[in-house]
Amino acid sequence: MKKKLDFRNFSIYFDQYLFISITLVSIMGLFFLYSASQEDLSAVIKQSIFIGFGLLLMFAVSQVDPDFYKIFSGFFLFFSVLLMFATMLFGKEINGAQRWLDLGFFTLQTSEIIKISLPIYLASYLYNKPLPIKPKHTFITLILICFTFYLVYRQPDLGTGLVVFMAGIYILFLAGLSWRFISISFGLIILSMPFLWNNFLQPFQRQRILTFLDPTNDPYGSSWNITQSKIAIGSGGMSGKGYQEGSQAHLNFLPEAETDFIFAVIAEEFGFIGVCILLSVFFFILLRCLYLAFNARDRFCRLSIGGLSLVFASTLFINLGMVVGIIPVVGMPLPFISKGGSSLLSFYIAFGIIISMATHKKLMQK
Amino acid sequence: MIDLEEREVEKKSFFRRLIIIYFLFGSMFIFFLLSIYSIQISEFNDYEIAALENKTKEVLVQPVRGIIYDRNGAVIVNNIPSYDLIIKPWKIDNFDIFIKNISSIIELIPSEIDFVTENFEQKARYNRELILKKNLSKTEIARFEVRSFMFPNAFIDERYSRTNNYPHLFSHAIGYVGGINNEQISSILKDQGLNQKETIFSYSNGFLVGKTGIENKYDKKLRGLFGKKIYEVDARGKLVKLTNYILPKNGDSLFTSLDLNSHKVAYEKMNNRRGAVVAVEIESGSIVTYISTPSFSSNDVSNGISSKAFNALLNDPNKPFFDRAAQGRYSPASTIKPAIGLYGLEEKLIDWNFSINDPGYFILPEDQRVYRGWKKGGHGNVNLNRAIVVSSNTFFFSLAYQSDIDNLINHLSNFGFGKNICLDCFNPDIGLLPTPEWKMNNLNFGWFKGDTVNLGVGQGYLSATPLQLAFYASIVANKGNQKKLTLVSNQEPRISENLPFKNIQNLDWSNLHSSMIGVIDDTEGTARRLKKLKNYAVAAKSGTVELVSTETKEEYKIIRKNKGNRDHAIIIAFGPMPDPKYAVSVIIENGESGGSVAGPVAIAVLDSLIEK
Repeated sequence: MKKKLDFRNFSIYFDQYLFISITLVSIMGLFFLYSASQEDLSAVIKQSIFIGFGLLLMFAVSQVDPDFYKIFSGFFLFFSVLLMFATMLFGKEINGAQRWLDLGFFTLQTSEIIKISLPIYLASYLYNKPLPIKPKHTFITLILICFTFYLVYRQPDLGTGLVVFMAGIYILFLAGLSWRFISISFGLIILSMPFLWNNFLQPFQRQRILTFLDPTNDPYGSSWNITQSKIAIGSGGMSGKGYQEGSQAHLNFLPEAETDFIFAVIAEEFGFIGVCILLSVFFFILLRCLYLAFNARDRFCRLSIGGLSLVFASTLFINLGMVVGIIPVVGMPLPFISKGGSSLLSFYIAFGIIISMATHKKLMQK
Repeated sequence: MIDLEEREVEKKSFFRRLIIIYFLFGSMFIFFLLSIYSIQISEFNDYEIAALENKTKEVLVQPVRGIIYDRNGAVIVNNIPSYDLIIKPWKIDNFDIFIKNISSIIELIPSEIDFVTENFEQKARYNRELILKKNLSKTEIARFEVRSFMFPNAFIDERYSRTNNYPHLFSHAIGYVGGINNEQISSILKDQGLNQKETIFSYSNGFLVGKTGIENKYDKKLRGLFGKKIYEVDARGKLVKLTNYILPKNGDSLFTSLDLNSHKVAYEKMNNRRGAVVAVEIESGSIVTYISTPSFSSNDVSNGISSKAFNALLNDPNKPFFDRAAQGRYSPASTIKPAIGLYGLEEKLIDWNFSINDPGYFILPEDQRVYRGWKKGGHGNVNLNRAIVVSSNTFFFSLAYQSDIDNLINHLSNFGFGKNICLDCFNPDIGLLPTPEWKMNNLNFGWFKGDTVNLGVGQGYLSATPLQLAFYASIVANKGNQKKLTLVSNQEPRISENLPFKNIQNLDWSNLHSSMIGVIDDTEGTARRLKKLKNYAVAAKSGTVELVSTETKEEYKIIRKNKGNRDHAIIIAFGPMPDPKYAVSVIIENGESGGSVAGPVAIAVLDSLIEK
């Protein structure tokens, strides 16, 4: 609080590496979206407003001292859970899923907020717990993780639910979960697989997994998406078909070309070279996060940076894995590129928090 | 609070664990890159083809069949454009209103509306056209054209119909076309290396193949090659744009040897009597006249005929669909006599001076059975020449009696009896040249000497088609030189063969020709009534095919009350003599007299061919 009043020492908190690379990816995304949406200018303008707003938000969020997040993390989580309940009651239903809250000017996918607030809350809960984490704290954490996972999962939104679940587990793991607990629970998870399969997965989710494991077993045509996606990617070849020349995307063979499968459009139009360029930017962002985590000022910041960057990495890899058919189709946007405001804004906020955590130093400790 | 030492432990543990997760992600990243590489680089070709197949739709374009000409270049069969009203269903918002509006301009019958209603939805979904009304009249076209601005979703386009300019004259020789089932279309497309798929038809009636006649025999040549319109389609199969158009290769034109003028004459002279006329250009062996009557309009059959009208044709007792020229089996009757005479000369059973007394009948020595001639009291003393001129049965009964049946059959076979003698006729019948084996197998009777005797006058089991009779006439005319018959002139050159005669000299042929000229020119000739009909010498041999065996003229008078029992009239002729150019055969069912009924038709046809 002192700093804000002392105008001579006024400084802005900024990480030019992350800022530039994220801005770069976002602008590339706009460019890709224009083609993927079949030259839908209004969608691109809407997306670019989100990007502009998101970058400002990221900057604003990074100016706040990490202690603010530490203190208010419980409130944030509580607020996001409230939003989830609100979604459950008043949410907009699209394609049989109730994930969106209509705010008039913006439809908010509330699960996108919880994937940030949960890891930060858990980091604030665990940062002062002695090593290794005691079973009591482990269980409290796990209950919280499972509760939030269930809230998202029942919308239903298995993909985001998994990311939320993983976000919690990352924090628990990074905070020092005992290896013994890890090995025991691994065993238990494997043993309980059949139970989970029968009781927790929706028939269409089971079908997606079965189709994924055996593409010939496809009574509902759910492998169509994967097949068309792979054709789009494969036909891009080394250098791609050229911007706006992707036949798979432009003739509607590719499903969800603007959202979940936008990577296939990029691969089709820009080929392996384009893919490598895009992925190297993403890779750079992740490496920068690793560096920042190592240099964070305290345990809370380390855990938060680690957790949030892994949320980003998980989202990225679930999307990529799904698009090339390495993992089943679960519905996951490509960060900073897929159309959709909620996901976009949530990542700007997440990276805003990462920058905040990484750039606010405690001078006293130096 | 955590002390400093514990903070260091915590820090190290955190770094280690973060590195572990990053390492896991790193491995996934590499794995991901490898799978992208394998999809984009290693399997590029497969996916490129898959993407191409996804977006490409080929629509076949039907070629137009070749034009068929007569030997002088007159167009006989052509493709006549008709104008059809075609709609674009995907541009029509309200189908009922559209139909209401268009009905006020062009009258639609319920079946047309039903057809379009049935197919509308589906065609609209895929941007496909639909024919609303075929064969618009000029008034309808004009009415539509001035209001076409009201119908951006409909247009008039040309579609062909296969049209014979002389539909009754060539309904058997050239035949008709018709639709075929999907399997047959598939096999035709396979021939052209294509798979069956959606096709733009150039004909109103869709895919047509030759069903009969030349249309059938030369179907492959006339058919042409399909073209292709290659479209880009979207995921729903909607046509987005035309990317390539490979034009269809239209069918080859066909130059037939048929002579339009002679067809007109023959058809007119036949005057719808049941029968057939075939004429052959002797030197080339090409068929110039090929008529079977009564006939039907090949256009009606080709381009759609109501099933009622079709059934009426099918059930017509005169059998207009029956191709009498190539499939009608008739006893050659007395027209066989020149061939039998040649057999006698070849086997040295007789010579031109040999004569017998004809009392009007022949008694078979074996069983005393009586074989009668056509003239009561007989012709008196007859030699070969006179036997042909007056058509003495007795002479040929006794000649046949002396012959060896196997040799005689072999001899007749040389003249084309019992064989296919046409290279490109549609389903020609080979007639019947009876042998002892045939009789045993089919009738369970042994061969009697009487059967051989009957063969001598062309009665009994022997039968031939008018096509075979014309071929036979052309061999006699050409002095034993034969060439198989053809309908289409641009055939590869064919070698003509001489019949394998040892003892028949040029003089024998000349004498035979003179005798056959005598059939018309001699005062006793059986076809002497034809003499005044012609301006040049014609060789001929008439015949009368007995359908019911009668002993006396009185008996015949009784049976002839039933028209179906009356004798068939038959004649073969060639001319102009002494260098004959054309040979002709004419059969008129139940026409009774070969010379005076079939003869005038033969003469008229020869005239039309010779006197251009």
